Amino acid sequence: MENAGENKEKQTNGSEGSFTRYQLIVFKQGEEEYAMHIDQIKEVVITPNITRMPQTSSYIKGVANIRGNIIAIVDLEEKFGLGKTNAEVLNHSKNFTLVIESEEFKIGLLVKEVPNTLTVTDKDIDESVNIVGDGAVDKNYIKGIVKVDKRLIILIDIYKVMSKEELGKTITAGV
Amino acid sequence: MKSKEEEYKEIFLAEALENHEEVNRLLTDLEKNTGNREVIDAIFRITHTLKGNALGMGFADIGEFAHVLEDLFGEVREGKLVITGDIITMLFRAVDVLGALIDALTSGKSVRRKGIQTKMEVLLKRARGEEKPDGSHLKEKQATTPEQDSEEDLKTEDDGEVKKEEKKKAENSAGKDKEKKLNEVKKAENSNEETIQEPVQPSEVVREQAKEEDQEQGEKVQVQDSKITFSDLVQVPVRKLDNLLNLVGELIIERDRIIAANSQAASEYSRLNRISSDLQYSVMDVRLVQVGFLFNKFHRVARDAAAVEKKKVNLKLTGTETEIDRNILQIISDSMIHIVRNSIGHGIELPEKRKSAGKDEVGLLELSAKSESDAVIIDIIDDGQGIDVEKVRQKIIEKGMYSKEVANQLSEDDIVMSIFEPGFSTADSVTAISGRGVGMDVVKKALDSIGGSISVYTKKGKGTTISLRLPSSMAVKGTLLFELNEETFAIPLTYTEAVVSLKKKDIHKVGKGLMSTHLGKTISVVFLRDVFSLDEELDPDEWFLHKSFDELEQEKDLHIAICAYNNRVIGFVVDKLLQRKEIVEKPLMKPVDNVKFVSGVTIMGNGNVCLVINVGGITNFVFSNSMRN
Repeated sequence: MENAGENKEKQTNGSEGSFTRYQLIVFKQGEEEYAMHIDQIKEVVITPNITRMPQTSSYIKGVANIRGNIIAIVDLEEKFGLGKTNAEVLNHSKNFTLVIESEEFKIGLLVKEVPNTLTVTDKDIDESVNIVGDGAVDKNYIKGIVKVDKRLIILIDIYKVMSKEELGKTITAGV
Repeated sequence: MKSKEEEYKEIFLAEALENHEEVNRLLTDLEKNTGNREVIDAIFRITHTLKGNALGMGFADIGEFAHVLEDLFGEVREGKLVITGDIITMLFRAVDVLGALIDALTSGKSVRRKGIQTKMEVLLKRARGEEKPDGSHLKEKQATTPEQDSEEDLKTEDDGEVKKEEKKKAENSAGKDKEKKLNEVKKAENSNEETIQEPVQPSEVVREQAKEEDQEQGEKVQVQDSKITFSDLVQVPVRKLDNLLNLVGELIIERDRIIAANSQAASEYSRLNRISSDLQYSVMDVRLVQVGFLFNKFHRVARDAAAVEKKKVNLKLTGTETEIDRNILQIISDSMIHIVRNSIGHGIELPEKRKSAGKDEVGLLELSAKSESDAVIIDIIDDGQGIDVEKVRQKIIEKGMYSKEVANQLSEDDIVMSIFEPGFSTADSVTAISGRGVGMDVVKKALDSIGGSISVYTKKGKGTTISLRLPSSMAVKGTLLFELNEETFAIPLTYTEAVVSLKKKDIHKVGKGLMSTHLGKTISVVFLRDVFSLDEELDPDEWFLHKSFDELEQEKDLHIAICAYNNRVIGFVVDKLLQRKEIVEKPLMKPVDNVKFVSGVTIMGNGNVCLVINVGGITNFVFSNSMRN
């Protein structure tokens, strides 16, 4: 019943005019589903050997060599507080890495399964969301909530996740 | 191999052609919107650059021509000259002539520019002065014109259209003005005709002008007949070169791995070896530029600095053909500007002081470059007053950088090197040039980032020499590999002095750290494990440097790599020392680029990432920690 109603809605919209479609990559972190715009992701690879980096936050697991580029590997689950994984478990369960690459950034996100794509429209994304958060910084990276079928997918802007403050946070003791 | 001059000329040509194209494009924009400030500013800047470059190369005609254009646009910028349609047309002509002048550098053709140049100069004068003074001004000009003309060269050309304008003006204005204009036209016309003039009647002027216009149509066509030219140089974004270098680095690593894996059939790979080495060499060569490139820009820097400080300085450049990687040159350029300004600000004395010291009033600043086996040494030598060691000593005590007792024990060398610590400055007042206390330590950091080093030799009253040692290429580095916590790390060989084995009993606790002796000298000893295990959440436990030492068994052999940095010798305790290796170091990108202990990474033959230790970073950290009492 609901579905029929939804479909009808969509059809009406269709006849009203054009609306932008977005292609998203959906991946699981903990029990939640997260999504990013497809153009933020460069590629998905099997997680390579990670070399630990001193003086970095614990959710930065280290760096790895992906196609000749040195990528910082980030465990978003840890950063978002969805569960900490230690190094040994890491290499066995976090099988895949989403490579995000821009002029300044090269990071890889750890995921257990290969992510899926999803095409949504404006209508499916709810941007006016107030999230009980840990301060202004963390709130910014959530661009909205995607509602499709019965799923609630959190749409994030990966560049804002790794905000400037985070980047600057390293050991400055004594120097 | 091209001579240095030819190379410079080639590069000047490429830049000049680009500038010319840009100005052409901007001018068309300006035509559509004559009030566009951005465009006006841009044209001003470009003509200014072109003028500077041309004069620097000794191409006086291009330089002067560009100068007039620059001045014109300067007036436009200040609102003293309003751009009209006629002026735009004149400017287009001028830009064409400029293009022809630039082409003439290769074709050798003679280009007539004096006419249009004069037209612009007149326009300029009018914009700067007022009408009335113009009259008397022109009368003077009239008197001097005879001499001027005989001096002015024979190659001239006039702009037919502007002349028409002048002609119209001459006809339209009355009385005094008419005469004024006549004199202007006369000047321009005379330079064209090379004749000795006598007061010419308006009608005659008109007739002659008509005659010349025909003549000019022919010439005009000649100049406008410029083809679209392509320079012989290809402009390559440095980013692409960096990419190329990366790929070659990867190739070398793979090659080494394959050869190592099949060491029996080593001879099979000799061709591969040779070709890939040649490739590497060529790519590194492409990235090389002559140091002179940077040095030449210092004429202006030195001149400005001297002017501000009211000192007299001569700049001497030696070894300008020495080649160095382009990226390195870029990284040190700011540093060098600062050092040069410092030398002039603090080193070279005021003329009177120099005279009373028996020196030449004009100080000498020399920039020299020479290449050694794997490095380029750049020296900045001044014959000024040298560094006043005692003054520096007082300053560091004042600034609280070291306590009085410690400071008094520091050697002269240590004192001199402390000028590179942050927050240091001996200037009593901050000038625009130096004294802000942010310069020298930034220089040091920049050098550290590329694996270079700096040393200072100074003699009171005689002068100071600042010597920069730079790696000649950013690419391949020799390193020493070691193992720590089952991971492999690399230390650049430039910092490594020796490799020793010690027992626990050879090491002693001193203050917050550890010490031992090596070849009779006392050295600090640091367990790298302790440094790396610092948790980012907590503040380091004051005694963290003793941690591993305390846990150690008595008879265990410790492997130590002894490194020297900044005159400090430190021994790093590692788990196992591995081999020497040539690596290609890559810098760290965000979000991990702030890590102070690691200067970069490299990719090993097995595809794993190996961190390159930042010796400077660790040394600074350890020492600043233990200096804090």
